[in-house]
Amino acid sequence: MNQVSSKSGLKQGIIDGLPLLGGYIPVAISFGVIAIQAGFSTLEATLISVFIYAGASQFLLVAMVASGAPLWLAVCMTLLVNIRHVVYAPNLVPYLPQSRAWPYLMHGLTDQIFALAHTRLPCMEDAKKVDWFKGVSIVAWFSWILGTALGGLAGDSLTQKWPVLDSVMPFALPALFLVLLAPKFTNKQWVVTLLVTISTALFIALSSFKNAAIPLAALFGALTFYVLTSHAGRKPSHAN
Amino acid sequence: MQTDIWVAIIVAAIGTYALRVAPLLWTQRHFNKHKANNSEAHLPTWLSVLGPLMIAAMLGASLVPKAPSASSWIATCVATAITILVWRKTKTLGLPVFLGVAVFGVIYWCALHFL
Repeated sequence: MNQVSSKSGLKQGIIDGLPLLGGYIPVAISFGVIAIQAGFSTLEATLISVFIYAGASQFLLVAMVASGAPLWLAVCMTLLVNIRHVVYAPNLVPYLPQSRAWPYLMHGLTDQIFALAHTRLPCMEDAKKVDWFKGVSIVAWFSWILGTALGGLAGDSLTQKWPVLDSVMPFALPALFLVLLAPKFTNKQWVVTLLVTISTALFIALSSFKNAAIPLAALFGALTFYVLTSHAGRKPSHAN
Repeated sequence: MQTDIWVAIIVAAIGTYALRVAPLLWTQRHFNKHKANNSEAHLPTWLSVLGPLMIAAMLGASLVPKAPSASSWIATCVATAITILVWRKTKTLGLPVFLGVAVFGVIYWCALHFL
């Protein structure tokens, strides 16, 4: 994974994005089904996936609109769920070469794309990075859009016919995160911090505050990191 | 669909995009300013620490099976172990994920039918 590949950036990005299909398509199909049940048409559900393109917040927005919640509140809650995205781009900037394409490409900066980019970009030639990001984003975005459309058109029958799609394929996402995170277990401080963060997120996700699991666990992990750093009395060491 | 619902969706879409792009522009400006002054820019430590922690948090949250049951938890534990083992052996991206999902499917099916 840390080797620089001889493949073109775009091709490598598409290949790296393939594991995302297992996680994106089943969830997008579920979104399509839920949006239809909430009174949206297939076209409307698909357009939401095209323009908002942020998993959990789309479910929340559709559910709140369907329940008749005030629209300003639905928008605020959507943005609140997505606020974690503000830490993604700054963490990638040190690895991004100059290009006018980056601001446009940020529409594709989902959780999973960030995790992939944070691991892959540091060990890639600058000349390949824009194309790599395009490749990986295209796979993810199109699978999300296609999955939503499929869910809207035939979601119920699809999940009944292939229940494995709904219950097994989503394991692709934790497997991918695991592989992306594994190289960051570099020393005792990071091992403890990462394990605390993973456990906290798991525990919160099992409770009724699922949407808060990622930001709260990350904050708790950061607190753990600083406690360990100050306890060790040395300068923080980076995982990457 | 009513126009006001579309307005809400467009505002949510623009807001989400802004949350992704604005920090990029701010950080790029900060880095370019340092570059112009021939000095090296660094991310604040808290921000660079949050990067790996966000991935760890996503991992923890995504480990919860879609339909939690004894079968799905057993499958999750075994498939997680297999994914780590294959990664340690190959240090690649695709194969550990593929085998992790395959093992999850087999264990889940076996647990459902034989436990």
